Amino acid sequence: MADHLPPIHICDDWISITLPDWESILAAQAAFSASHHWTEIVPGLTSIAVQFDPALVSPDDAASMVRDQLDSAAPVAAASHIVVTIPVCYEGELAPDREFVAKKLGIAAEALPAWHASRPQRVTMLGFMPGFAYLESTEPCPIIGRLASPRQLVKAGSIGIIGQQSCIYSFDSPGGWPIIGRTPLRLFDPARKQSALLSAGQTMRFESISQEAFDNWPPTVEA
Amino acid sequence: MSISVLNAGLQTTLQGAPFTGHRHLGMPAAGAADCVSLALANFLVGKPGGAIGIEITLTDAIFAIDEPCSIAVVGAAEYVRINGQEHPQHQTLKLMAGDRLHIGPSRPGCRTYLSISVEIRADELLGGRSTYLAAGLGGFHGRALKAEDVIIFSQNSPTIEVKRTTPLALRPHYSDDHVLRVTPGPEADKSNESILDILCQGLYTVGSRASRMGMALKGAPLVANESSTMPSAAVFPGTIQLPPDGQPFLLGPDAQTTGGYPRIAQVIRADRHLIGQLGSGSRIQFVRTTTERATETHREKLSLLSSWLGPINLW
Repeated sequence: MADHLPPIHICDDWISITLPDWESILAAQAAFSASHHWTEIVPGLTSIAVQFDPALVSPDDAASMVRDQLDSAAPVAAASHIVVTIPVCYEGELAPDREFVAKKLGIAAEALPAWHASRPQRVTMLGFMPGFAYLESTEPCPIIGRLASPRQLVKAGSIGIIGQQSCIYSFDSPGGWPIIGRTPLRLFDPARKQSALLSAGQTMRFESISQEAFDNWPPTVEA
Repeated sequence: MSISVLNAGLQTTLQGAPFTGHRHLGMPAAGAADCVSLALANFLVGKPGGAIGIEITLTDAIFAIDEPCSIAVVGAAEYVRINGQEHPQHQTLKLMAGDRLHIGPSRPGCRTYLSISVEIRADELLGGRSTYLAAGLGGFHGRALKAEDVIIFSQNSPTIEVKRTTPLALRPHYSDDHVLRVTPGPEADKSNESILDILCQGLYTVGSRASRMGMALKGAPLVANESSTMPSAAVFPGTIQLPPDGQPFLLGPDAQTTGGYPRIAQVIRADRHLIGQLGSGSRIQFVRTTTERATETHREKLSLLSSWLGPINLW
């Protein structure tokens, strides 16, 4: 990153940095994490932001630190990315939009679980709710789009898909993404050492499980 | 020892310092929407500024206390009554067992803070105890209080005996008219430089969709030149987004951590506590400032407040 420092925007207690790809976002996140000056380090899809305490650090000094830290940012080794498997039940009322999505994809509804579970995913970002994961398939996918009107209640663990992007709802909440299944895992549990199950940059894949396996999934204490 | 809720009003939650360092996990700040009023109330009962207090929104609320303790009320409430008798805000008040505390509706302003000399028991997570309503975390079982709830005081918590009155010069002026200073957001220049000029020209009124998460503002519409959505990026309390309908959206303490609308402006840290006093119908005059001036303003406000409160953070 030494050659071309990316564009940054300075507010009075946070700085936004636009970056070209997710590898550089991960590298920047690692570099910023090594500094104790940032109260928050928040990756976005094509940017990352750091927040600081303006009583201790001036915006100009913060900007200098951002530039220095970006300058020394090293690529994060791919080996450090843990591949996670997320079990998903694609059946019945856990998958209310399975037919809709299969039709959009031009495949049979029965083929959807195998289709979705065969596609590796990358966690691009956590946001919306604690532990809510935005995923991107590493393979191209037709556009599916959002539901015409959002649901008032999407259950925690639901898997949404709008095309190349999928998501996992971490809490019961309103939502507009078509839902094709649900995982029995808890995406966010503050009692765990790692409260969020996933983190930006991780690679993961889905594994199709039966309704029976979903119903009998043991509650996990520690991920 | 406990305090019973007789009438919780529209939205009453346990709030103290915000959650910090977890936005990359999607965990928002939460915490007291008006950190200055909470800190003033906490100081009157001998507590640090970020200690958990009771945040009352818009309507009145009634409590009963079962053991003697000290309390203080600071905020937008029209009155404070103990057993029907009116008492001042900004003062340490002694309550006896069985006393009935009635905190009046917000008039003008939006939120009032009740601090109690004993420690309030609240759910703890990620190093914080404030309530984050959308995910049902922290505070009182993650939810707003309702009638018949009983808030437990932590046992053996020492009761600090202080008797204090907030100096007149430090008492916030509660109003439905606010001046909020802003700096340009990351997408202000890209979309259109004049957007910030329009934002800072006329008054904006807080719409009916106003909550701790944020509020839509009605006023001169802003039209984005470019596409009205962008790849999701970090947002913070005080960020002003520009959705496709052209009505700016001001984010509050419970706002999600990332968003896909252009971030056209950012309310400066020194003024962010005022967002907690904005309710539906409040009027805002935005004033553009620089990051350098914002830093000075923040340090001036901290130094003024800390002359009375001791070391303090604003969020």
